Amino acid sequence: MAEVLLKFKGAVVKEIPLEQDVITIGRKPDNDIVIDNQAVSGHHAKFTNEGESLFIEDTNSLNGTYVNGQKVFKSEIFNGDMVLVGIHTLEVISDRNRDTDPRNATLRGRSMDETMVIAPQDQKNLLAATGKNKPDVLGGFVIVNGSADRRDYLLKERVTTIGKEDGAGIHLKGFFAPKVAALVNRRKEGYFINPSGGKSMKINGQEMISRYDLKDGDLVEVAGLKMQFYVKEE
Amino acid sequence: MKVNIAGQTDKGLIRPNNEDDFFLDPKRGILAVADGMGGHASGEVASKMAVDVLRNYFQQAGEGKAPLISSCYNENYSDETNQLCSAIQLANKAIHEAAKSNPQLYGMGTTLAAIMIQGRKLSIAHVGDSRIYLVRAGEIEQLTDDHTLVYEQVKHDLISKEEAEQSTIRHVLTRALGIAPFVDVDLDEMTLAEGDVLILCSDGLSGMISDQEILLTAASLDNPSVACQQLITMANDKGGKDNITVVAGYLAKKRRFASVLKFFRWFRR
Repeated sequence: MAEVLLKFKGAVVKEIPLEQDVITIGRKPDNDIVIDNQAVSGHHAKFTNEGESLFIEDTNSLNGTYVNGQKVFKSEIFNGDMVLVGIHTLEVISDRNRDTDPRNATLRGRSMDETMVIAPQDQKNLLAATGKNKPDVLGGFVIVNGSADRRDYLLKERVTTIGKEDGAGIHLKGFFAPKVAALVNRRKEGYFINPSGGKSMKINGQEMISRYDLKDGDLVEVAGLKMQFYVKEE
Repeated sequence: MKVNIAGQTDKGLIRPNNEDDFFLDPKRGILAVADGMGGHASGEVASKMAVDVLRNYFQQAGEGKAPLISSCYNENYSDETNQLCSAIQLANKAIHEAAKSNPQLYGMGTTLAAIMIQGRKLSIAHVGDSRIYLVRAGEIEQLTDDHTLVYEQVKHDLISKEEAEQSTIRHVLTRALGIAPFVDVDLDEMTLAEGDVLILCSDGLSGMISDQEILLTAASLDNPSVACQQLITMANDKGGKDNITVVAGYLAKKRRFASVLKFFRWFRR
């Protein structure tokens, strides 16, 4: 048989067995569980035993009834659930445990538009089944020909600029070099290069006007610079 | 390098309260966005706590260096990046303690996306699904990986990006501040260039309008507060389903030929 522990500021005030079919909670003395506090409505909420299941139902209270931090109207409750009424908590002790399937347990009874977090252990269970875990790709350019300030560039940043600009990762020299010739993006799935604003770019001898996904060994020509892309083995 | 920064937050059109918060520190070049969650309006408390701890952490250090927490020190990153990480770790602890000891705050949490701009060095730290974008040379790139279940699924090739955007569980976070005593913070660093624009936002923006729309707006304006206002208006025009927070940092563009012009002006006198 289920019971609840009435708690205030973490300390147990009272232990209440849930024997009847309906157990009312409220500030007024005619309730089964009387909580004398201004935050509690006269008739605030009630527990109901319906067959095997135990429910909490808000009876039109002013401040609402919360189960595990979520506002509820009527909700089935399980062992270990925390029911908040005003500033008092009612800890549920019963032999019915919440379904531990993470897909159901963490999501039940909540609006899907609301942001929520799932426990780290649940995530592992959800993702472990797949067994796929790709390592991050790391790659770079070796300069074959042209005036850059180094021979080899390892691309660690999410976005690297090729150009004359001061912050450029691959820094071009020379008066006529463009400020930004192209951008190289690093993503989990790999690298891609994007020529900047109408600048000419060739990949393996082919003119390229938009985004290109880089592969190991690709030869890139941009702003008088010829370089080869490589993927580093982790 | 000179940075022009601004931030703005809006309730949106549906939600009864605003659980977002943001933080700007022009002197240290810090920009941050927090998106709180939890029942009983505790989301507001969580995001405000995150922002307050961040502010206090850097304020207490004053002119000096903010102290680093050894338990989350990562030697691969600069002191600035580690400071952001320490501040977030402290915020997590404060929120977690508060949520544990107060039944009304039970289950509250918040995202936090923060950057620090020091010269050309950009430090990035984030937990949750608030995003940081870089707009450079007409392109936009998301610098953060959302800590959401759908993003994990995309990363593991379980579903496609298109499926992810339609998913009913796209609001489920895999990480947030305040949930556990210790939080795993994603860190990153980058080199900044002239004219770069950084946009930090809560999912009230990125969930309503596309990356391309953010790019077009950010790149066509040169005033951060106008950009923030405009992006919020766009999100509200699309329905404003969630609280919207946008923080923007515009790096100064070096004026070309500025010195030559000066010379000529002097010459004409």
